[in-house]
Amino acid sequence: MNAPKTSKSGAWKSIWLRHETVLFAILILEWLYFNSVGPRFGSLDNSCDILRHSVEIGLLALVMTPIILTGGIDLSVGAMLGLCAILFGKLWRDAHVSVWIAGLATLGIGGFCGALNASLITLLRLPPLIVTLGTFSLFRGLAEATTQGVDTFTGFPNFFLALGQSELVGLPAQAPLFVAVAVGIWLLVHRTTFGRSWRAIGFAPEGARYAGISVERRVGMTYVLAGIIAGLAAVIYTARLGQAKADAGTGYELFAITAVVLGGTSIFGGVGSVHGTLLGVAAIAVLSNGLVHARQPREVAGMLIGALLLAALTVSVLAKQFAARSKIGHARHST
Amino acid sequence: MTMPKTFALTLLAVGVLLAGCSKSTDTSNTASGKKLAIALMPKSKGNAYFISCKAGAEKAAKELGLELIFDGPTDPDPAKQNEIIENWITLGVDAIAAACENREGISTALRKARAKEIKVITFDSDASQDARDFFVNQATPEGIGNTLMDEAARLTGSEGEFAIITASLTAANMNEWQKYIEARRSSKYPNMKMVALRPCDDLKDKAQAEATALLSANPNLKLIMAICSPAVPGAAEAVKQAGKTGQVKVIGLGLPSENRRYVKEGVTDSVILWKTEDLGYLTLYAAQALANGSLKPSDKTFKAGQLGEFEIQGDNILLGKPFIFNKENIDQFNF
Amino acid sequence: MKTHFRELSVAAAFLLVLLAMACFAPSFYHAQPLLSLATRESPTLLIACGMALVIICRQIDISVGSQFAICSVCSGLLAAMHWPLVLVLFASLGLGLALGALNGLLVAGLRLPSIVVTLATMVTWREALRWKRQGEFVNLPDGAQWFGLHQVQGQLMMVAMALTVLVLLALTTKHVAAGRFVYAVGSDAEAARLAGIRPQLVTFSVFAFMGALTGLAALINAVQSPQVDPKSGTGLELKAIAAVVVGGVAISGGRGSLWGAFVGLLLLACVSPALTHLHLPPYWERALQGAIILLAVVADGLRARRERFA
Repeated sequence: MNAPKTSKSGAWKSIWLRHETVLFAILILEWLYFNSVGPRFGSLDNSCDILRHSVEIGLLALVMTPIILTGGIDLSVGAMLGLCAILFGKLWRDAHVSVWIAGLATLGIGGFCGALNASLITLLRLPPLIVTLGTFSLFRGLAEATTQGVDTFTGFPNFFLALGQSELVGLPAQAPLFVAVAVGIWLLVHRTTFGRSWRAIGFAPEGARYAGISVERRVGMTYVLAGIIAGLAAVIYTARLGQAKADAGTGYELFAITAVVLGGTSIFGGVGSVHGTLLGVAAIAVLSNGLVHARQPREVAGMLIGALLLAALTVSVLAKQFAARSKIGHARHST
Repeated sequence: MTMPKTFALTLLAVGVLLAGCSKSTDTSNTASGKKLAIALMPKSKGNAYFISCKAGAEKAAKELGLELIFDGPTDPDPAKQNEIIENWITLGVDAIAAACENREGISTALRKARAKEIKVITFDSDASQDARDFFVNQATPEGIGNTLMDEAARLTGSEGEFAIITASLTAANMNEWQKYIEARRSSKYPNMKMVALRPCDDLKDKAQAEATALLSANPNLKLIMAICSPAVPGAAEAVKQAGKTGQVKVIGLGLPSENRRYVKEGVTDSVILWKTEDLGYLTLYAAQALANGSLKPSDKTFKAGQLGEFEIQGDNILLGKPFIFNKENIDQFNF
Repeated sequence: MKTHFRELSVAAAFLLVLLAMACFAPSFYHAQPLLSLATRESPTLLIACGMALVIICRQIDISVGSQFAICSVCSGLLAAMHWPLVLVLFASLGLGLALGALNGLLVAGLRLPSIVVTLATMVTWREALRWKRQGEFVNLPDGAQWFGLHQVQGQLMMVAMALTVLVLLALTTKHVAAGRFVYAVGSDAEAARLAGIRPQLVTFSVFAFMGALTGLAALINAVQSPQVDPKSGTGLELKAIAAVVVGGVAISGGRGSLWGAFVGLLLLACVSPALTHLHLPPYWERALQGAIILLAVVADGLRARRERFA
């Protein structure tokens, strides 16, 4: 966090050794490797596939970043996606609301779910892990109960399905939305006082309070935002699949957390970046996709992602220790 | 990271991507010396039922000299099957044979495959009619439902209470079977009553726990119908441990190898299935024939290698009727 | 009474459920099914005990489900190779210990956050097992079920084993120094270090011990039926964490007891059989469990709030 006066070469060195840069290098390596073993891997079609498949998870990972920056966590984002998806379907099919209004309403429903998390965490000062563990079961359970498990919603109008399935100037139709949200959250985290306050809260909550930051409101904001974006992801997911089911989004929260941590955000809060998260999502997505082109079974992707996560963490910690030690050594030698 | 450095790195990234995307106009498919590539997708990996289908498919692939790609989702999210199919489309496989978890959901991706001139066949569970060329039908859902209900009636004298254990409340094919079981019951066996339906999440241990609770909650229970394969041995073990062997009958859809012990001990009366290896074998032969044009939509029969002729009804290639494994014949099968 | 208010209130809630069952579904109270239910939940109790220690130590372990599956399959394979069951027990304990020790090394040695470490190991072990086993059951040889005893004897023995471990651990955490160290490290690792305790060693041991308990639980689960399902243990970590949290163990560490984990497990484990016996639809199960977790945490929060403003 402290930035001593460095020379120009020192500034570039600090970039090369950053977590995001190493991750970027890994991403390039992955790309080059899979390009060599899979003839269709580098094609535009495949890049569109990778993008299209990562949009919903990417949205969840993006919105998980501010939450983890504040030192919290949200295990319920996948379940919120599922609940929003079926409520969206229900609004459109049973309440005969137009698709666009249903979509907007879904954002509201997502926000409401996020607000439930937010109020329990901020008003009652409850630990986010457990609150979201509870809401994870609650939301998924409500999705199952509403549909009684069996009901699914299909037959959406074609112009809606185009959002998830068709292409816009060669890119998947949902890409502009994703880019817009990504840019928005990047600006929010890196260029506004909200972002600064989140980092401060994650670094030292009491210190932030004494500095005059309204901790409860800022933290609550992150969870409500997560809910709203989960609603958006639910709509895109339904458009992509053409179907809304109660088990939509199962397992997405762990994927999102993996991407965020891989991207260099500390799970304890205070340190992290949105571009790191995007790199994390990209690294995982390229790995999963590339292994299909390399004719490897799906399980290998899972194992490699687990190993990658551990390696990233370990290297990060060891690098910090090495840097700290060399700084001490440097200081000793210079006196 | 300051703006200029971010910009520089982003340019670098885009440059690498564009360099890799040069092959987007690659349209070459099967040249006349290349092996056909057929992709086979189970509902999920790690399922012994689909492993035995795969064994039959591998046998066929060897006989036909083609490349078999076997892959499927490892987690329960409904969108995963679609993502794998889209990856295969980009990979450029010649035919796809899929067992569909979500009928409408997967049809989205299958239609896309057909639009790209890839032949699509479904097996075990069907997609929408316009999303595939043929469906290799081992037994219609109606046939399965009727066989199960008829067996249940035969064993209980057409009257009494019975319970169903299913995999999960959202599993599409199980819901279809339940529909036909209920239809058969209400039309032919009105004196039989279904008192409970419990999910076991595809886990044998949970099925055992559910069956134990069912047995004690319904003292007049005469039969447990386990329609997901881990539940058949689970329910049988529960009946055995409750000391109600013979008093409460157990039937279900399962593999002979997992139930041999209980059938021989008389706990489980009938296990209903079909020759899964033959299903895989037939599916692969049909896919190959579709890919090279020898199987056409108007055909009435299809010859599959060593298995001989199969009847085609409309666009369903029929494997045959459900097969009932019981004490007399279960030793002849080792899958 | 005051110090154990939390545990007692959960126990009261559990007794309420039992009362409701007695009134509305007396069929719940038959000996053999209750014994079967207790036996089925004994492995979960062992896991919950280990999880309680991990959480009291201010860590978390979400990889227990995958560890459980691996130990189950390995025990099954060894038993199928006709190893004597005592050796299989040691092998299972050893394998679990090794897996837990790996977590412990990464968390205590490298100071990595436990939630991420155990997330990574959970995914890696689960996918590796699925890759190897492809869902195939492991068939146990004939003498292996119930450790070769008769069913009722075997069931009683397993329940007794789980309860013994619970009592031993509860006493250890209260009266033995090593047990108190876990609380000390969980409340304030730095203060513990200054008091002469080695926090890294305690943290490592807690993870290794969790692994050993998982190995034991896996074997107990495996011999309850003649086949081992490689998918067993799915969802176990969430079940254990929920039970522990409902029972009053604070996720911030340093507070709670094993008895709390026990009553929390009792309450959550009876939701499913209660629904079956009351002939209620099954799709309410997950929502109910989520509601119980939230109620428990909210009650904690309200009480803490009252104390803050008192």
